[in-house]
Amino acid sequence: MSINSISEIEFGADLPAFEPDTSLSAGSEFADLVGWTGGRFSSHELAKKEGFPSAIIPGIMSQGYLIAMIHNWAPSAEIKKVDTIFRAPVLADEGHSITGVVTDIDEESSLVEVDLTVTNSKNETRVFGTATVYIP
Amino acid sequence: MILDLHTHSIKSDDGRAKVNNYCQWIRSKDINIDGFVLTEHRQFDLESDYSPLAKKFDLCILKGAEVETEYGHVLIFGVTEPLMKCFDFSSTHLALADVLSACETHNAVAAPCHPGRKRVGMWAHLEEFGVPDGVKIVEVKNGGSRGEEDQVAQGMADELNYLGIGGSDSHIVSHVGRCATRFPSAFNTEAALVEALQAGEFEALSLK
Repeated sequence: MSINSISEIEFGADLPAFEPDTSLSAGSEFADLVGWTGGRFSSHELAKKEGFPSAIIPGIMSQGYLIAMIHNWAPSAEIKKVDTIFRAPVLADEGHSITGVVTDIDEESSLVEVDLTVTNSKNETRVFGTATVYIP
Repeated sequence: MILDLHTHSIKSDDGRAKVNNYCQWIRSKDINIDGFVLTEHRQFDLESDYSPLAKKFDLCILKGAEVETEYGHVLIFGVTEPLMKCFDFSSTHLALADVLSACETHNAVAAPCHPGRKRVGMWAHLEEFGVPDGVKIVEVKNGGSRGEEDQVAQGMADELNYLGIGGSDSHIVSHVGRCATRFPSAFNTEAALVEALQAGEFEALSLK
């Protein structure tokens, strides 16, 4: 169900789960598009030479997925801020999922705060953060 | 009584949770804890008074600190103003021996946290610095652990005869209560928490 008004939102509500495309090809293509040419995004082998366990997904691509998830949930939302803390790299070709949950509602200012967590298939938190979202 | 002994609020540089929202979350999601300890990074929050929130939500809200030593990060319970004068909480290069000694003098408890974690955990530094004297308690269940970190922590605790506590290490609201510590009786002051830890009768829990 998509959200159109702040009055529809309840504290603790889950956003629909989101499974981002964290394949090597998607990460590599994104890195190319934004002009990030490092091998860490395009090759598992080159990433290992740089000290990573395997190729990684660009951080701003992960942030893009967080934003996409919020817009899937509330298409009219205006995202004021996404504040992320990268605890560990998001590894390419590993399955990840993103969860979001409403943790603050300020009806006066029409602002909602959402906790966001990116976990891998072992349920380890790789990235977490919060988004501040304006929903009329 | 079950307390999450390791949480961060917006007072910490990387904390994003408001204490009011922790309380709301615990009650609205029926999280199985009776309260939590705010262990802000490199500081003790003298100014905040959470007693109205504690009363409103019927939760125990206590304050501690998380400081940084050559053995990694260390939780401190029972912080007082005299203890705060013994060393610089904001330093990232404290000597664990100084922290332990000051805590002993001022009836506080210091417990290395996420000891199985690379770089910021105690296990990673044992080879270089040796086993430190005076550690009695370590965090063996941490809500932010990845891979084998908690197993490493528990293995170290078993080997070195340390007692184990648990805490979520939450930085956002929805992560509170993922790990916690069960005590045999209820209390609601920092001094009583210190007593309970010194008594040694507690159990680390994973509530993930």
